[in-house]
Amino acid sequence: MPILEEYRLTDRVAIVAGDGTLDSNVFTPYLAEALAEAGARVFVAARSADVMDESVRRANAIGGEAHGILCDHTNEQDVEMVFTEALNRFGRVDILVNNLRTEFGKSFDQVTVDEYETVMGRNVRSVFLMCRAAGTRMMAQGRGRIVNIISGLAERGLWNSAAYCASQGAVLQLTKALALEWGRHNIRVNAIGTGWFSSEELPLEEAQKELLVRFIPLRRKGHPRDIAPALVYLTSDSCDYTTGQPIYIDGGLMAHP
Amino acid sequence: MLDKLSLDGKVVIVTGGGTGLGKAMVQALARAGANVAIAARRRGPIEEVVAEVESLGRKGLAIPTDVSDSRQVEHMVALTLDELGKIDVLINNAGRTAENNPAPIWEVTDEEWRAGIDTNLSGAFYCARAVSKYMVDRGSGKIINVASGFGLRGVRDLYIYTCSKGGMLQLTRTLAMSLGRYGVTANTIVPGFIPTRGTDSFRRSLPGSGDVIPIGRLGQPEDIGPIAVFLASNASDYMNGEMIIMDGGGLAGGYAPTGHAPEIPIV
Ligand SMILES: NC(=O)c1ccc[n+]([C@@H]2O[C@H](COP(=O)([O-])OP(=O)(O)OC[C@H]3O[C@@H](n4cnc5c(N)ncnc54)[C@H](OP(=O)(O)O)[C@@H]3O)[C@@H](O)[C@H]2O)c1
Repeated sequence: MPILEEYRLTDRVAIVAGDGTLDSNVFTPYLAEALAEAGARVFVAARSADVMDESVRRANAIGGEAHGILCDHTNEQDVEMVFTEALNRFGRVDILVNNLRTEFGKSFDQVTVDEYETVMGRNVRSVFLMCRAAGTRMMAQGRGRIVNIISGLAERGLWNSAAYCASQGAVLQLTKALALEWGRHNIRVNAIGTGWFSSEELPLEEAQKELLVRFIPLRRKGHPRDIAPALVYLTSDSCDYTTGQPIYIDGGLMAHP
Repeated sequence: MLDKLSLDGKVVIVTGGGTGLGKAMVQALARAGANVAIAARRRGPIEEVVAEVESLGRKGLAIPTDVSDSRQVEHMVALTLDELGKIDVLINNAGRTAENNPAPIWEVTDEEWRAGIDTNLSGAFYCARAVSKYMVDRGSGKIINVASGFGLRGVRDLYIYTCSKGGMLQLTRTLAMSLGRYGVTANTIVPGFIPTRGTDSFRRSLPGSGDVIPIGRLGQPEDIGPIAVFLASNASDYMNGEMIIMDGGGLAGGYAPTGHAPEIPIV
Protein backbone atom coordinates (compact mmCIF):
# COMPACT_ATOMS: atom_id res chain seq x y z
CA MET A 1 0.00 0.00 0.00
CA PRO A 2 1.46 3.39 -0.91
CA ILE A 3 2.09 5.66 2.05
CA LEU A 4 3.96 8.93 2.24
CA GLU A 5 7.66 8.31 2.94
CA GLU A 6 7.76 11.40 5.11
CA TYR A 7 5.61 9.69 7.75
CA ARG A 8 8.36 7.17 8.48
CA LEU A 9 10.34 7.38 11.71
CA THR A 10 13.28 5.30 10.50
CA ASP A 11 16.32 5.68 12.80
CA ARG A 12 14.49 7.98 15.17
CA VAL A 13 14.72 7.32 18.90
CA ALA A 14 11.58 7.81 20.96
CA ILE A 15 11.02 7.93 24.70
CA VAL A 16 7.47 6.99 25.64
CA ALA A 17 6.56 7.94 29.18
CA GLY A 18 3.55 6.12 30.56
CA ASP A 19 1.81 6.45 33.85
CA GLY A 20 -0.53 4.17 35.77
CA THR A 21 -1.18 0.49 35.33
CA LEU A 22 -2.67 -1.36 32.40
CA ASP A 23 -6.02 -1.14 34.14
CA SER A 24 -5.92 2.59 34.70
CA ASN A 25 -4.15 3.85 31.55
CA VAL A 26 -4.09 1.52 28.62
CA PHE A 27 -2.66 3.87 25.97
CA THR A 28 1.09 3.48 26.44
CA PRO A 29 1.57 0.07 24.80
CA TYR A 30 -0.32 1.21 21.70
CA LEU A 31 1.75 4.38 21.47
CA ALA A 32 4.99 2.40 21.70
CA GLU A 33 3.70 -0.04 19.11
CA ALA A 34 2.77 2.74 16.66
CA LEU A 35 6.17 4.43 16.89
CA ALA A 36 7.94 1.10 16.48
CA GLU A 37 5.82 0.20 13.48
CA ALA A 38 6.76 3.50 11.86
CA GLY A 39 10.42 2.62 12.36
CA ALA A 40 11.50 4.29 15.60
CA ARG A 41 13.51 2.64 18.33
CA VAL A 42 11.52 2.96 21.52
CA PHE A 43 12.53 3.48 25.11
CA VAL A 44 9.59 3.04 27.47
CA ALA A 45 9.68 4.85 30.80
CA ALA A 46 6.81 3.48 32.87
CA ARG A 47 5.64 3.77 36.42
CA SER A 48 4.44 0.17 36.58
CA ALA A 49 6.00 -3.06 35.34
CA ASP A 50 2.85 -4.21 33.55
CA VAL A 51 2.76 -1.07 31.39
CA MET A 52 6.49 -1.32 30.70
CA ASP A 53 6.42 -5.01 29.81
CA GLU A 54 3.33 -4.79 27.63
CA SER A 55 4.68 -1.72 25.80
CA VAL A 56 8.04 -3.35 25.10
CA ARG A 57 6.30 -6.55 24.07
CA ARG A 58 4.01 -4.80 21.60
CA ALA A 59 6.78 -2.68 20.10
CA ASN A 60 9.06 -5.69 19.66
CA ALA A 61 6.26 -7.85 18.28
CA ILE A 62 5.71 -5.40 15.44
CA GLY A 63 9.36 -5.68 14.51
CA GLY A 64 10.76 -2.79 16.51
CA GLU A 65 13.58 -2.52 18.97
CA ALA A 66 12.27 -1.51 22.37
CA HIS A 67 13.58 -1.35 25.90
CA GLY A 68 11.96 -0.30 29.11
CA ILE A 69 12.79 1.26 32.42
CA LEU A 70 10.77 1.81 35.57
CA CYS A 71 10.66 5.29 37.02
CA ASP A 72 8.74 7.86 38.95
CA HIS A 73 8.19 10.70 36.49
CA THR A 74 7.64 13.16 39.29
CA ASN A 75 11.17 12.58 40.59
CA GLU A 76 13.89 14.73 39.06
CA GLN A 77 16.66 12.13 39.53
CA ASP A 78 14.51 9.41 38.01
CA VAL A 79 13.81 11.54 34.96
CA GLU A 80 17.52 12.28 34.49
CA MET A 81 18.19 8.55 34.77
CA VAL A 82 15.63 7.83 32.02
CA PHE A 83 17.39 10.16 29.59
CA THR A 84 20.87 8.96 30.57
CA GLU A 85 19.83 5.36 30.00
CA ALA A 86 18.09 6.13 26.73
CA LEU A 87 21.13 8.01 25.47
CA ASN A 88 23.49 5.23 26.58
CA ARG A 89 21.45 2.73 24.69
CA PHE A 90 20.45 4.61 21.56
CA GLY A 91 22.77 7.62 21.41
CA ARG A 92 20.08 10.26 20.86
CA VAL A 93 16.52 11.27 21.67
CA ASP A 94 14.39 12.57 18.81
CA ILE A 95 10.91 12.05 20.16
CA LEU A 96 9.25 12.33 23.54
CA VAL A 97 5.69 11.16 24.10
CA ASN A 98 4.18 11.91 27.50
CA ASN A 99 1.20 9.78 28.36
CA LEU A 100 1.23 10.96 31.95
CA ARG A 101 -2.23 11.42 33.36
CA THR A 102 -3.82 9.91 36.36
CA GLU A 103 -7.57 10.24 36.23
CA PHE A 104 -9.30 11.46 39.33
CA GLY A 105 -12.95 12.11 40.04
CA LYS A 106 -14.28 13.40 43.32
CA SER A 107 -16.60 16.09 44.56
CA PHE A 108 -14.34 19.14 44.72
CA ASP A 109 -15.25 20.17 48.28
CA GLN A 110 -13.99 16.77 49.43
CA VAL A 111 -10.66 16.87 47.58
CA THR A 112 -7.76 16.79 50.01
CA VAL A 113 -4.55 18.73 49.54
CA ASP A 114 -2.74 15.40 49.22
CA GLU A 115 -5.00 14.27 46.41
CA TYR A 116 -4.70 17.60 44.61
CA GLU A 117 -0.93 17.51 44.85
CA THR A 118 -0.79 13.91 43.66
CA VAL A 119 -2.87 14.74 40.60
CA MET A 120 -0.87 17.86 39.78
CA GLY A 121 2.37 16.01 40.44
CA ARG A 122 1.63 13.02 38.26
CA ASN A 123 -0.05 15.00 35.50
CA VAL A 124 1.82 18.30 35.40
CA ARG A 125 5.10 18.18 37.34
CA SER A 126 5.99 14.94 35.54
CA VAL A 127 5.37 16.49 32.12
CA PHE A 128 7.37 19.55 33.13
CA LEU A 129 10.34 17.39 34.18
CA MET A 130 10.19 15.15 31.10
CA CYS A 131 9.90 18.09 28.70
CA ARG A 132 12.71 19.99 30.34
CA ALA A 133 15.03 17.00 30.24
CA ALA A 134 14.10 16.29 26.62
CA GLY A 135 14.34 19.91 25.51
CA THR A 136 17.91 20.25 26.74
CA ARG A 137 18.99 17.27 24.65
CA MET A 138 16.86 18.18 21.65
CA MET A 139 18.17 21.74 21.56
CA ALA A 140 21.70 20.35 21.51
CA GLN A 141 20.72 18.06 18.64
CA GLY A 142 18.92 20.86 16.81
CA ARG A 143 15.79 18.80 16.37
CA GLY A 144 12.99 17.21 18.34
CA ARG A 145 9.34 16.28 18.51
CA ILE A 146 7.31 16.27 21.72
CA VAL A 147 3.72 15.05 21.98
CA ASN A 148 1.69 15.27 25.17
CA ILE A 149 -1.35 13.04 25.41
CA ILE A 150 -4.10 15.00 27.11
CA SER A 151 -7.86 14.92 27.55
CA GLY A 152 -10.57 17.13 26.09
CA LEU A 153 -10.92 18.23 29.71
CA ALA A 154 -8.00 20.54 29.00
CA GLU A 155 -10.68 22.80 27.52
CA ARG A 156 -14.00 21.50 28.84
CA GLY A 157 -15.33 21.10 32.36
CA LEU A 158 -16.79 18.01 34.00
CA TRP A 159 -18.57 17.29 37.26
CA ASN A 160 -16.24 15.92 39.97
CA SER A 161 -13.22 16.65 37.85
CA ALA A 162 -11.95 20.11 38.76
CA ALA A 163 -8.47 18.98 39.79
CA TYR A 164 -8.08 16.75 36.77
CA CYS A 165 -9.39 19.45 34.41
CA ALA A 166 -6.92 21.95 35.86
CA SER A 167 -4.06 19.49 35.33
CA GLN A 168 -5.00 18.91 31.69
CA GLY A 169 -5.38 22.62 31.02
CA ALA A 170 -1.92 23.09 32.49
CA VAL A 171 -0.36 20.58 30.11
CA LEU A 172 -2.11 22.16 27.13
CA GLN A 173 -0.70 25.56 28.08
CA LEU A 174 2.73 24.03 28.61
CA THR A 175 2.44 22.62 25.11
CA LYS A 176 1.62 25.99 23.56
CA ALA A 177 4.27 27.95 25.43
CA LEU A 178 7.06 25.42 24.80
CA ALA A 179 6.18 25.33 21.12
CA LEU A 180 6.97 29.03 20.97
CA GLU A 181 10.03 28.90 23.18
CA TRP A 182 11.64 26.01 21.31
CA GLY A 183 10.29 26.68 17.83
CA ARG A 184 13.52 28.17 16.56
CA HIS A 185 15.43 25.14 17.83
CA ASN A 186 13.50 22.97 15.45
CA ILE A 187 11.54 21.35 18.25
CA ARG A 188 7.82 20.88 17.70
CA VAL A 189 5.52 20.50 20.68
CA ASN A 190 1.94 19.35 20.16
CA ALA A 191 -0.75 17.44 22.01
CA ILE A 192 -3.24 14.74 21.16
CA GLY A 193 -6.50 15.14 23.02
CA THR A 194 -8.62 12.09 23.66
CA GLY A 195 -12.23 11.69 24.71
CA TRP A 196 -14.04 8.67 26.07
CA PHE A 197 -11.83 5.70 25.31
CA SER A 198 -11.81 2.05 26.18
CA SER A 199 -9.58 -0.79 25.13
CA GLU A 200 -12.37 -3.32 25.48
CA GLU A 201 -13.53 -4.52 22.11
CA LEU A 202 -17.27 -4.37 22.81
CA PRO A 203 -19.59 -5.27 19.95
CA LEU A 204 -20.93 -1.99 18.55
CA GLU A 205 -24.52 -2.78 19.53
CA GLU A 206 -23.54 -3.36 23.15
CA ALA A 207 -21.51 -0.17 23.27
CA GLN A 208 -24.29 1.92 21.76
CA LYS A 209 -26.63 1.15 24.64
CA GLU A 210 -24.62 3.37 26.92
CA LEU A 211 -25.92 6.93 27.33
CA LEU A 212 -22.38 8.24 27.05
CA VAL A 213 -21.87 6.52 23.74
CA ARG A 214 -25.05 8.00 22.35
CA PHE A 215 -23.67 11.40 23.32
CA ILE A 216 -20.60 10.94 21.12
CA PRO A 217 -21.32 12.05 17.51
CA LEU A 218 -19.57 8.96 16.10
CA ARG A 219 -21.57 6.72 18.48
CA ARG A 220 -18.70 4.70 19.80
CA LYS A 221 -15.93 5.01 22.33
CA GLY A 222 -12.45 5.43 21.01
CA HIS A 223 -9.83 2.71 21.12
CA PRO A 224 -6.18 3.58 21.83
CA ARG A 225 -5.41 2.51 18.27
CA ASP A 226 -7.51 5.44 17.03
CA ILE A 227 -4.82 7.93 18.00
CA ALA A 228 -1.82 5.94 16.74
CA PRO A 229 -1.52 7.38 13.20
CA ALA A 230 -1.88 10.95 14.48
CA LEU A 231 1.03 10.26 16.82
CA VAL A 232 3.09 9.08 13.88
CA TYR A 233 2.31 12.27 11.96
CA LEU A 234 3.12 14.56 14.89
CA THR A 235 6.44 12.83 15.61
CA SER A 236 7.57 12.67 11.99
CA ASP A 237 9.46 15.13 9.81
CA SER A 238 6.25 15.81 7.88
CA CYS A 239 5.00 17.71 10.91
CA ASP A 240 7.09 20.85 10.83
CA TYR A 241 4.72 23.79 10.44
CA THR A 242 2.24 22.40 12.98
CA THR A 243 3.25 23.30 16.51
CA GLY A 244 1.68 24.30 19.80
CA GLN A 245 -1.58 22.61 18.90
CA PRO A 246 -3.88 20.06 20.43
CA ILE A 247 -5.40 17.62 17.95
CA TYR A 248 -8.52 16.10 19.42
CA ILE A 249 -9.42 12.59 18.35
CA ASP A 250 -12.59 12.02 20.23
CA GLY A 251 -15.36 11.05 17.83
CA GLY A 252 -16.66 14.61 17.67
CA LEU A 253 -17.09 15.44 21.36
CA MET A 254 -15.59 18.90 21.07
CA ALA A 255 -18.12 19.89 18.41
CA HIS A 256 -20.88 19.27 20.99
CA PRO A 257 -22.85 22.17 22.40
CA MET B 1 -1.49 0.74 11.59
CA LEU B 2 0.72 2.41 8.95
CA ASP B 3 -1.47 0.92 6.22
CA LYS B 4 -4.29 3.11 7.47
CA LEU B 5 -2.33 6.10 6.17
CA SER B 6 -2.59 4.79 2.63
CA LEU B 7 -5.20 6.15 0.22
CA ASP B 8 -4.86 3.24 -2.15
CA GLY B 9 -7.89 3.27 -4.47
CA LYS B 10 -9.72 6.07 -2.70
CA VAL B 11 -11.41 8.83 -4.67
CA VAL B 12 -10.96 12.39 -3.45
CA ILE B 13 -12.45 15.61 -4.81
CA VAL B 14 -10.27 18.68 -4.26
CA THR B 15 -11.77 22.04 -5.10
CA GLY B 16 -9.29 24.73 -6.04
CA GLY B 17 -6.79 21.92 -6.65
CA GLY B 18 -5.00 23.51 -9.58
CA THR B 19 -2.83 25.96 -7.65
CA GLY B 20 -1.25 26.69 -4.28
CA LEU B 21 -2.30 24.60 -1.32
CA GLY B 22 -4.86 22.66 -3.35
CA LYS B 23 -2.22 21.54 -5.80
CA ALA B 24 0.15 20.51 -3.00
CA MET B 25 -2.65 18.46 -1.42
CA VAL B 26 -3.46 16.75 -4.72
CA GLN B 27 0.20 15.82 -5.20
CA ALA B 28 0.44 14.25 -1.73
CA LEU B 29 -2.93 12.49 -2.06
CA ALA B 30 -1.89 10.95 -5.36
CA ARG B 31 1.48 9.86 -3.98
CA ALA B 32 -0.43 8.14 -1.16
CA GLY B 33 -2.51 6.24 -3.70
CA ALA B 34 -5.64 8.32 -4.32
CA ASN B 35 -7.47 9.02 -7.56
CA VAL B 36 -8.34 12.70 -7.60
CA ALA B 37 -11.01 14.88 -9.17
CA ILE B 38 -9.89 18.49 -9.32
CA ALA B 39 -12.37 21.32 -9.65
CA ALA B 40 -11.79 25.02 -10.18
CA ARG B 41 -12.92 27.70 -12.62
CA ARG B 42 -9.90 27.77 -14.93
CA ARG B 43 -9.27 24.70 -17.02
CA GLY B 44 -5.51 25.23 -17.56
CA PRO B 45 -4.15 24.79 -14.02
CA ILE B 46 -6.37 21.84 -13.13
CA GLU B 47 -5.50 19.99 -16.33
CA GLU B 48 -1.80 20.40 -15.57
CA VAL B 49 -2.25 18.92 -12.12
CA VAL B 50 -4.35 16.07 -13.52
CA ALA B 51 -1.43 15.24 -15.81
CA GLU B 52 0.83 15.06 -12.74
CA VAL B 53 -1.62 12.74 -11.00
CA GLU B 54 -1.72 10.48 -14.03
CA SER B 55 2.06 10.41 -14.26
CA LEU B 56 2.01 8.80 -10.79
CA GLY B 57 -0.20 6.04 -12.13
CA ARG B 58 -3.43 7.28 -10.54
CA LYS B 59 -6.58 8.51 -12.19
CA GLY B 60 -7.16 12.23 -12.38
CA LEU B 61 -10.16 14.20 -13.54
CA ALA B 62 -10.32 17.92 -14.29
CA ILE B 63 -13.77 19.41 -13.78
CA PRO B 64 -14.10 23.12 -14.55
CA THR B 65 -16.44 24.29 -11.80
CA ASP B 66 -17.46 27.49 -10.10
CA VAL B 67 -18.28 26.31 -6.58
CA SER B 68 -20.44 29.36 -5.92
CA ASP B 69 -22.97 27.94 -8.38
CA SER B 70 -24.74 24.95 -6.85
CA ARG B 71 -25.77 23.53 -10.23
CA GLN B 72 -22.15 23.33 -11.30
CA VAL B 73 -21.35 21.67 -7.99
CA GLU B 74 -24.04 19.02 -8.54
CA HIS B 75 -22.51 18.40 -11.94
CA MET B 76 -19.03 18.08 -10.42
CA VAL B 77 -20.27 15.38 -8.06
CA ALA B 78 -22.21 13.51 -10.76
CA LEU B 79 -19.25 13.56 -13.13
CA THR B 80 -16.87 12.29 -10.45
CA LEU B 81 -19.23 9.41 -9.68
CA ASP B 82 -19.53 8.61 -13.41
CA GLU B 83 -15.84 8.77 -14.18
CA LEU B 84 -14.19 7.63 -10.95
CA GLY B 85 -16.97 5.42 -9.59
CA LYS B 86 -17.29 6.76 -6.04
CA ILE B 87 -16.40 9.60 -3.69
CA ASP B 88 -14.61 8.81 -0.45
CA VAL B 89 -13.43 12.29 0.43
CA LEU B 90 -14.32 15.89 -0.37
CA ILE B 91 -11.77 18.62 0.28
CA ASN B 92 -13.27 22.11 0.23
CA ASN B 93 -10.24 24.20 -0.57
CA ALA B 94 -11.49 26.63 -3.22
CA GLY B 95 -11.27 30.12 -1.91
CA ARG B 96 -11.54 33.62 -3.20
CA THR B 97 -8.08 34.52 -2.13
CA ALA B 98 -6.70 36.95 -4.65
CA GLU B 99 -9.57 39.44 -4.37
CA ASN B 100 -9.55 39.98 -0.63
CA ASN B 101 -8.25 43.45 -0.13
CA PRO B 102 -8.63 44.80 3.38
CA ALA B 103 -11.01 47.77 3.43
CA PRO B 104 -12.87 49.81 6.06
CA ILE B 105 -16.25 48.22 6.69
CA TRP B 106 -18.17 51.19 5.22
CA GLU B 107 -16.45 50.67 1.91
CA VAL B 108 -17.35 46.99 1.55
CA THR B 109 -20.14 46.72 -1.01
CA ASP B 110 -22.99 44.23 -1.04
CA GLU B 111 -21.54 42.71 -4.22
CA GLU B 112 -18.10 42.19 -2.70
CA TRP B 113 -19.56 40.71 0.47
CA ARG B 114 -21.77 38.32 -1.50
CA ALA B 115 -19.02 37.29 -3.89
CA GLY B 116 -16.68 36.39 -1.02
CA ILE B 117 -19.25 34.58 1.09
CA ASP B 118 -20.64 32.84 -2.01
CA THR B 119 -17.33 31.26 -2.94
CA ASN B 120 -15.71 30.57 0.41
CA LEU B 121 -18.68 29.64 2.55
CA SER B 122 -21.61 28.87 0.26
CA GLY B 123 -19.26 27.01 -2.09
CA ALA B 124 -18.15 24.74 0.73
CA PHE B 125 -21.76 24.31 1.81
CA TYR B 126 -22.93 23.39 -1.70
CA CYS B 127 -20.11 20.87 -2.12
CA ALA B 128 -20.76 19.30 1.30
CA ARG B 129 -24.48 19.17 0.56
CA ALA B 130 -23.91 17.58 -2.83
CA VAL B 131 -21.88 14.65 -1.41
CA SER B 132 -23.57 14.22 1.97
CA LYS B 133 -26.62 12.18 1.04
CA TYR B 134 -24.48 9.89 -1.08
CA MET B 135 -21.97 9.46 1.74
CA VAL B 136 -24.66 8.88 4.35
CA ASP B 137 -26.34 6.25 2.17
CA ARG B 138 -23.11 4.32 1.75
CA GLY B 139 -22.28 4.77 5.44
CA SER B 140 -18.88 6.38 5.01
CA GLY B 141 -17.22 9.53 3.82
CA LYS B 142 -14.99 12.37 4.88
CA ILE B 143 -15.40 16.08 4.38
CA ILE B 144 -12.36 18.27 4.90
CA ASN B 145 -12.66 22.04 4.96
CA VAL B 146 -9.69 24.33 4.48
CA ALA B 147 -10.35 27.33 6.70
CA SER B 148 -7.73 29.78 7.92
CA GLY B 149 -6.15 31.17 11.06
CA PHE B 150 -8.05 34.31 10.05
CA GLY B 151 -11.24 32.35 10.79
CA LEU B 152 -10.21 32.11 14.44
CA ARG B 153 -8.95 35.62 15.10
CA GLY B 154 -9.87 39.13 14.13
CA VAL B 155 -7.98 40.82 11.33
CA ARG B 156 -8.06 44.56 10.80
CA ASP B 157 -10.34 45.51 7.89
CA LEU B 158 -10.69 41.97 6.54
CA TYR B 159 -14.40 41.24 6.98
CA ILE B 160 -15.34 38.91 4.17
CA TYR B 161 -12.46 36.51 4.50
CA THR B 162 -12.55 36.22 8.30
CA CYS B 163 -16.32 35.74 8.41
CA SER B 164 -16.38 33.14 5.64
CA LYS B 165 -13.55 31.15 7.21
CA GLY B 166 -15.10 31.32 10.66
CA GLY B 167 -18.28 30.04 9.04
CA MET B 168 -16.40 27.08 7.59
CA LEU B 169 -15.36 26.01 11.09
CA GLN B 170 -18.99 26.01 12.14
CA LEU B 171 -19.95 24.11 8.99
CA THR B 172 -17.42 21.46 10.01
CA ARG B 173 -18.75 21.17 13.54
CA THR B 174 -22.37 21.03 12.44
CA LEU B 175 -21.64 18.38 9.82
CA ALA B 176 -19.76 16.45 12.50
CA MET B 177 -22.69 16.56 14.91
CA SER B 178 -25.20 15.67 12.20
CA LEU B 179 -23.52 13.07 10.02
CA GLY B 180 -21.14 11.39 12.47
CA ARG B 181 -23.70 8.79 13.42
CA TYR B 182 -23.90 7.75 9.76
CA GLY B 183 -20.18 7.21 9.45
CA VAL B 184 -19.48 10.51 7.75
CA THR B 185 -16.93 12.78 9.43
CA ALA B 186 -15.94 16.40 8.93
CA ASN B 187 -12.72 18.13 9.95
CA THR B 188 -10.92 21.36 9.20
CA ILE B 189 -7.38 22.21 8.25
CA VAL B 190 -6.41 25.65 9.47
CA PRO B 191 -3.36 26.92 7.60
CA GLY B 192 -1.36 29.86 8.79
CA PHE B 193 0.57 32.03 6.38
CA ILE B 194 1.87 30.24 3.31
CA PRO B 195 2.87 32.46 0.39
CA THR B 196 0.92 31.50 -2.75
CA ARG B 197 -0.54 33.48 -5.59
CA GLY B 198 -3.64 33.65 -3.43
CA THR B 199 -1.94 35.56 -0.64
CA ASP B 200 -0.61 38.33 -2.85
CA SER B 201 -3.51 40.62 -2.10
CA PHE B 202 -3.15 40.10 1.65
CA ARG B 203 0.40 41.42 1.72
CA ARG B 204 -0.59 44.32 3.95
CA SER B 205 -2.09 42.05 6.63
CA LEU B 206 0.59 39.39 6.40
CA PRO B 207 4.18 38.93 7.49
CA GLY B 208 6.76 39.32 4.76
CA SER B 209 9.21 36.89 6.32
CA GLY B 210 9.43 34.17 8.92
CA ASP B 211 10.65 36.60 11.57
CA VAL B 212 7.23 37.00 13.15
CA ILE B 213 6.39 33.30 12.98
CA PRO B 214 7.36 31.44 16.16
CA ILE B 215 9.26 28.67 14.38
CA GLY B 216 11.08 31.25 12.26
CA ARG B 217 9.88 30.45 8.78
CA LEU B 218 6.87 30.94 6.54
CA GLY B 219 4.84 27.94 5.56
CA GLN B 220 5.23 26.11 2.27
CA PRO B 221 2.40 24.51 0.31
CA GLU B 222 4.08 21.12 0.86
CA ASP B 223 3.47 21.45 4.62
CA ILE B 224 -0.22 20.78 4.11
CA GLY B 225 0.10 17.53 2.10
CA PRO B 226 0.67 15.07 4.95
CA ILE B 227 -2.22 16.58 6.92
CA ALA B 228 -4.61 16.23 3.99
CA VAL B 229 -3.52 12.62 3.53
CA PHE B 230 -3.99 11.91 7.24
CA LEU B 231 -7.48 13.41 7.29
CA ALA B 232 -8.47 11.71 4.03
CA SER B 233 -7.30 8.32 5.22
CA ASN B 234 -8.75 5.77 7.61
CA ALA B 235 -6.04 6.84 10.04
CA SER B 236 -8.34 9.67 11.16
CA ASP B 237 -11.58 7.69 11.40
CA TYR B 238 -12.25 8.66 15.03
CA MET B 239 -11.52 12.32 14.43
CA ASN B 240 -14.64 14.38 13.86
CA GLY B 241 -15.52 18.06 14.07
CA GLU B 242 -11.95 19.00 14.82
CA MET B 243 -9.29 21.18 13.34
CA ILE B 244 -5.62 20.76 12.69
CA ILE B 245 -3.89 24.10 12.90
CA MET B 246 -0.73 24.35 10.83
CA ASP B 247 0.77 27.78 11.31
CA GLY B 248 4.30 27.59 12.66
CA GLY B 249 3.01 28.25 16.17
CA GLY B 250 1.24 31.54 15.47
CA LEU B 251 -2.07 30.72 17.09
CA ALA B 252 -0.40 29.03 20.06
CA GLY B 253 1.03 32.45 20.83
CA GLY B 254 -0.45 35.74 19.83
CA TYR B 255 -0.37 37.32 23.27
CA ALA B 256 2.69 39.44 22.58
CA PRO B 257 4.88 40.08 19.56
CA THR B 258 6.90 37.03 18.53
CA GLY B 259 10.13 36.79 20.44
CA HIS B 260 8.84 38.84 23.39
CA ALA B 261 10.38 36.86 26.25
CA PRO B 262 10.12 38.51 29.66
CA GLU B 263 12.20 37.15 32.55
CA ILE B 264 10.35 37.81 35.78
CA PRO B 265 11.70 36.33 39.04
CA ILE B 266 9.35 34.93 41.69
CA VAL B 267 9.33 37.35 44.62
N1 LIG C 1 -1.97 30.45 1.45
C1 LIG C 1 -2.31 30.75 2.69
O1 LIG C 1 -1.54 31.34 3.43
C2 LIG C 1 -3.62 30.32 3.22
C3 LIG C 1 -3.84 30.46 4.59
C4 LIG C 1 -5.05 30.07 5.11
C5 LIG C 1 -6.01 29.54 4.29
N2 LIG C 1 -5.80 29.43 2.96
C6 LIG C 1 -6.86 28.86 2.14
O2 LIG C 1 -6.36 27.82 1.35
C7 LIG C 1 -7.12 27.72 0.16
C8 LIG C 1 -6.21 27.72 -1.04
O3 LIG C 1 -5.55 28.97 -1.12
P1 LIG C 1 -4.15 29.22 -1.84
O4 LIG C 1 -3.32 29.99 -0.91
O5 LIG C 1 -3.66 27.95 -2.38
O6 LIG C 1 -4.56 30.26 -3.00
P2 LIG C 1 -4.89 30.02 -4.54
O7 LIG C 1 -3.70 29.46 -5.22
O8 LIG C 1 -5.44 31.30 -5.02
O9 LIG C 1 -6.01 28.92 -4.54
C9 LIG C 1 -7.36 29.20 -4.59
C10 LIG C 1 -7.98 28.22 -5.56
O10 LIG C 1 -9.39 28.30 -5.49
C11 LIG C 1 -9.91 28.28 -6.81
N3 LIG C 1 -11.16 29.03 -6.82
C12 LIG C 1 -11.35 30.34 -6.54
N4 LIG C 1 -12.64 30.68 -6.69
C13 LIG C 1 -13.28 29.55 -7.10
C14 LIG C 1 -14.61 29.26 -7.45
N5 LIG C 1 -15.57 30.19 -7.39
N6 LIG C 1 -14.91 28.01 -7.84
C15 LIG C 1 -13.96 27.05 -7.89
N7 LIG C 1 -12.69 27.28 -7.57
C16 LIG C 1 -12.34 28.51 -7.19
C17 LIG C 1 -8.85 28.94 -7.66
O11 LIG C 1 -8.87 28.45 -8.99
P3 LIG C 1 -9.67 29.27 -10.15
O12 LIG C 1 -9.25 30.70 -10.00
O13 LIG C 1 -9.20 28.64 -11.42
O14 LIG C 1 -11.10 29.03 -9.91
C18 LIG C 1 -7.56 28.50 -6.97
O15 LIG C 1 -7.06 27.31 -7.52
C19 LIG C 1 -8.10 28.88 0.17
O16 LIG C 1 -9.35 28.44 0.66
C20 LIG C 1 -7.46 29.82 1.16
O17 LIG C 1 -8.41 30.66 1.75
C21 LIG C 1 -4.61 29.80 2.42
